[in-house]
Amino acid sequence: MGEVKWEREQMLVDKILEKAPYAEGKVRRERRIEFSIPADRIRDFLMLLRDNDFELMLQITTVDWPNDGELELIYQMWSVTHRTHAMVRTRIPRDLDKARMPTVKDIYPVAETYERDAHDFFGVYFEGNEKMEMPWILDDTEQGLFPHRKDFDMLTYVKKKYKLLDRFDEDKDNYVI
Amino acid sequence: MVDWRLFEPLFNYARKKSLWIVSFCTGCGGIEMPPLMTSRYDLERFGMIPDPSPRQYDLFLITGYVTPKTLKRIIITYEMAPDPKYVLAHGSCPLNGGIYWDAYNAIKHLDKYIPVDVVIAGCMPRPEAVMDGIQKIMEMIENGTADGWKRYKENYEWYKKNQDELFGEGWREREARRWIPWLVDKKKEE
Repeated sequence: MGEVKWEREQMLVDKILEKAPYAEGKVRRERRIEFSIPADRIRDFLMLLRDNDFELMLQITTVDWPNDGELELIYQMWSVTHRTHAMVRTRIPRDLDKARMPTVKDIYPVAETYERDAHDFFGVYFEGNEKMEMPWILDDTEQGLFPHRKDFDMLTYVKKKYKLLDRFDEDKDNYVI
Repeated sequence: MVDWRLFEPLFNYARKKSLWIVSFCTGCGGIEMPPLMTSRYDLERFGMIPDPSPRQYDLFLITGYVTPKTLKRIIITYEMAPDPKYVLAHGSCPLNGGIYWDAYNAIKHLDKYIPVDVVIAGCMPRPEAVMDGIQKIMEMIENGTADGWKRYKENYEWYKKNQDELFGEGWREREARRWIPWLVDKKKEE
């Protein structure tokens, strides 16, 4: 049923998979296709997508999977010519010294912003992107804090930083606003 | 010599009728300002005008949530202004964090860092609520109870202690060196 209905998408996936034997691809639904590739081939694959009329990068979504010990990076691409959205999934290790990706800044220039975003919130280091030392959101006094990871203790951090009043704090009576 | 304090009620009446607003919109409340300023809820009939310069304003609208990065700019903008200056905060976020009360990047009590005269409840307050808050601050100006700028001078050590606890000592110099390094270096040479 679906193969007849989504013929155009299946043709697009087959055309890309011919040139990329390391990738796996499938059609999700109408005008939505999906690939998963190993992390070290991301530059080759995105160059291939760029040459196959995927003109825009919409976002780099980062997902934290602490039980697997992995971070998932999803590159969201949009093709204006085919009116098709492509998800490119990669997985990298979660440890801070191993969470490294090659940058795609020179292939899609907008990726610089998205890579800084992923670096500030999840601690992914993109090799070749020099602007990593200036965070977007956090101050320069708080480098190395990755607040969107699952193991980040948000409530303790907030109470310590903003000195919030807890009902069970001992110095409650000395707290003046 | 004329004792100018005799004319204080007259001055307060004049201040109340000509409040200038600095165009500094924080967070989501900025979207309430265009309907406020334009023909439907016409703010100009209160004698108000938005002004892009921090050197001329009287009323500082904190429209929505405040992050530490924005708070530095807010403090600097607040201290730039000439002296009768009033702060009006929109919504729950400057009061207690609002829906961001457990977020790592939202200021919970704006009152610890700069003095706030009037807080409007709501998320976000409609333009009618903002106009109600403006009428309230007009009454307070006429009574002489809108004294946030006096409190900031009297309790400056306390405010400065809170700001330094959040940003670290010497944050003003760090920011200046980051954004206007040529001025900082010139000052050091002199």
